[in-house]
Amino acid sequence: MFQLEEFIIQFLLNFVAREDLNAFLRNPQHTATIVGSLIAVSGALLGTFLLLRGMSLTSDAISHTVLLGIVVAFILMGSLFGQHPDLSSGWLIVGAAAAGVATVLLTELIYRSGLVKQDAALGLAFPLLFAIAVILVSRVVSDVHLDEDAVMVGEIGVAWANTNSHCLSGCESVTITPDDPRAEMTRQCTNCRNLGISPRDDKAEFTTICTNCGDYSPAQAWQAGFTRQEPVLVFWPKSITVMAVMTLLTLLAIVLFYKELKLSTFDPTLAAALGFRPTLLHYGLMVLVSLVAVGAFDAVGSILVVAFFIIPPAAAYLLTDRLPRMLLYSSLIGAAGAYSGYDLARGNLLGVVHLSDILAAFNNLFGLGLSEQWDSSISASMVLMTFLFFLAAWVFSPKYGLVSTMLRRRNQRRSFDDQVVLGHIHRHQGRAAESDELTASTLYRHFRWSPAKMERTLRQLAARNLVQIEADQVSLTDHGETHAHQFRQTQLTNESVGELST
Amino acid sequence: MTKNYKLTTKNSSSDRRIWLLIGATALIAALFVPFSQLFLHVEYDYTLRTVALGGALLGIVSGVLGCFAVLRRQSLLGDALSHAALPGVAIAFLLAGRDLGLLLIGAGVTSWLGVYFIRLVTGTTRIKQDAAMGIVLAAWFAAGIALLVYIQARPDASQAGLDTFIFGQAAAIIERDVRLIAAVGTVSFIVLALFWKEFKLITFDAEFAGANGFRVNLLSMALSTLIVVAIVLGLQLAGVILMVGMLIASGIAARQWTNQLGQMVILSAVFGAFAGGAGAIISAIDADIPTGPLIVVVAFLLVAISLGFAPGRGLVWTLLRRLSDRRRFAAQTMLQDLYHYAIDHGRADLPAPESFLFGVRGATAKEGLRQLHARGQVQRSNGAWMLTPAGIEAASRDDRNHQLWAVYRQYADDLALPAIAEDRQQDIADLLPPESVAKLEFKLDTIRNAAAPPAQEQSLPNAVTDH
Repeated sequence: MFQLEEFIIQFLLNFVAREDLNAFLRNPQHTATIVGSLIAVSGALLGTFLLLRGMSLTSDAISHTVLLGIVVAFILMGSLFGQHPDLSSGWLIVGAAAAGVATVLLTELIYRSGLVKQDAALGLAFPLLFAIAVILVSRVVSDVHLDEDAVMVGEIGVAWANTNSHCLSGCESVTITPDDPRAEMTRQCTNCRNLGISPRDDKAEFTTICTNCGDYSPAQAWQAGFTRQEPVLVFWPKSITVMAVMTLLTLLAIVLFYKELKLSTFDPTLAAALGFRPTLLHYGLMVLVSLVAVGAFDAVGSILVVAFFIIPPAAAYLLTDRLPRMLLYSSLIGAAGAYSGYDLARGNLLGVVHLSDILAAFNNLFGLGLSEQWDSSISASMVLMTFLFFLAAWVFSPKYGLVSTMLRRRNQRRSFDDQVVLGHIHRHQGRAAESDELTASTLYRHFRWSPAKMERTLRQLAARNLVQIEADQVSLTDHGETHAHQFRQTQLTNESVGELST
Repeated sequence: MTKNYKLTTKNSSSDRRIWLLIGATALIAALFVPFSQLFLHVEYDYTLRTVALGGALLGIVSGVLGCFAVLRRQSLLGDALSHAALPGVAIAFLLAGRDLGLLLIGAGVTSWLGVYFIRLVTGTTRIKQDAAMGIVLAAWFAAGIALLVYIQARPDASQAGLDTFIFGQAAAIIERDVRLIAAVGTVSFIVLALFWKEFKLITFDAEFAGANGFRVNLLSMALSTLIVVAIVLGLQLAGVILMVGMLIASGIAARQWTNQLGQMVILSAVFGAFAGGAGAIISAIDADIPTGPLIVVVAFLLVAISLGFAPGRGLVWTLLRRLSDRRRFAAQTMLQDLYHYAIDHGRADLPAPESFLFGVRGATAKEGLRQLHARGQVQRSNGAWMLTPAGIEAASRDDRNHQLWAVYRQYADDLALPAIAEDRQQDIADLLPPESVAKLEFKLDTIRNAAAPPAQEQSLPNAVTDH
């Protein structure tokens, strides 16, 4: 990871000055947006396949149980090496990925028993694993970083502060040993806590320890005042690297196995018959989902990450029928949600509305005394923006949207109305009860329509030069005659074709 | 007539078993209290009594209503809806302050809106139900988190403890909450009892219900509303994340023991009460163990026991049955193997080399030969096995039976034979009336004679190599 960061920094420094890069990264908004977008893109890419496979909620299960993997790895590391690892440590990621796969395996084990339906199997497996994780958290690791807030919302807002420092020049690492003159020694009671006695007690035993011994990176050494010359540093947020690696892995897997994934998603039987090992792909996909979920854990927590897997693909699913476009759209929607979500957390909804105005309006209307300063969770706001984009896609999608569906239905209804009226006139024109059947002002009764509807239909037909109304009598124009005749012909053809085929 | 009679006796005996089981579980649940006092040294102070009672009541409510979620294949709906309750809690707090009843009403409203949204999305688009539930889960939960974070930024401390709804906090339950759970639970049970027939119908055959003029949409919304009620009541104890486990686990466990809805619901209630009560009591042993997760773990143990040991369906029984089947078939398989090996090589008492038999059948050979030897149907002579005269007789009878079965399968319609289920372990002569057997035998002999005389055994290839 560290070398990768060095590499990226060296590359970036070709284009921007070091101070600008530091300033850019130190801006919480930039780092949060980058991390959020990376999560959103990798989640959206994988989520697209999950959605199409009807497995969206598996991501929910996995993201919950990733916590168990992290906790178990955390405890194991603590007991094996006597030192709790950082949340971006490779071992935690391995543990979390294993937990993700274990969830899927447990679900399938329960489901394969044939006694429980698939949804129920999923609903059994992940609450159990999550419950175990929560018990472990509160019993074993109650005093560490893994607190509830981290599980729920993550810390994307402070992602900029958790950095690796990369030294470019003037680098001087320092190692302080107990013999060093700069070492600070202090006495510590070794048995006070165990026996529950105060250090002043006679039975207390002491040992001398060094409080500031250890290795200092150039940045730490400068901060602690061990070095005289200020090193030239770049502070690179760790979570950017983690998520960038996850996103690259995801992209790479999808590019390499695109054909296989596509086939096994749309026709698993054929994929199996052609020897593409759909089961292997299935588990590969699950591993990737776990990896992204654990990578995102730090930033957005264990539950909100589900949104990045499910909502953007669902929105893209309403916009297109092509898999490549769906992948592209869902990534874009996810990234856009992440970008605009940061502003929403500060109360700025797409630059159009400011939430503090709304809160003020609420206060004025109901006298609630709400705080008018909207300052909320960044990750949750990102999800809300993504959801907003989903709603927009749902309403306005050109093909599947509510509006276009409504318009299409209305047009169909209207054209059906037109045809019915034309047919009626065609049927009765020049027949016995013509004057009775074709009176414009009472025509609506024959259809049991409202007068307004009949009037509108006749007006439209007249406008299209299909009917004419003379002395309250409706009749077809020549054009209308041809139209009705043609329609009748095609209907007859369709019917006979239908009869032939049945 | 006789069949009907048999059916009812069987049902009433299994009925009695279920009621016994329900009674036994209830008894164990009741005995758990003195047990925990004696052996786990749990002290029943006021808090624990309240929490345990609340947990048990909640287990009953969610157990009963969860059954329907399980049967309607909406287990994960519980997950989505419990997450969807969070913004309601926050909004209710913002509007009306900290009053549990109002908070729960708020939770119910947003959760119910979640149900409605899922219906709307699945009804108007091609998005499937699981994805729609995922959307509701994530978006509603995000809204809840956003509001909670906004609320937490308030300078005063009135919002403290609001986030216990996320993970649940059993210790916060007071007597008034228990009364609330009991009251609301009773009301929802009354509704359930009033619409029992309708709910049963839409659960098992919604299309039939619709065809008979029941308002399926309305009814299923009502049922979902009841599920929402159960979820909302449980939030304080189990929290939004684990509520789904509490909702469905006891239902799944109960489903294993019975095929009747009424029994399943009652059993599920007992299981739920046990999980809720015992979970709360065990978690009192150590202050560090959170109650909600422990209840889920206990409930899952009940599920594991049910999946393993439920009569008829349980995995243990299935496994045992498979083993005993294998033993039962081993002798028969070896008898046939020896017989055909010998016949194919010219005479019926030809010995077959042991290494050959073991190589083909593995463990089955060992087991089967042991059984046959005990019956005196085979004997061993220098590294090979051969049939005794008794063995040859049994084998040829068995072989003939198989061939009759094969003829039956092929010609049952042509010969106008009565329909029976194919079970080659049984003697077909026992299942069919004598005249039908005679027809079968005649047909078999005709086929054999029609075939070339030396290829007698090959005339019905599938009869010979059928197993």
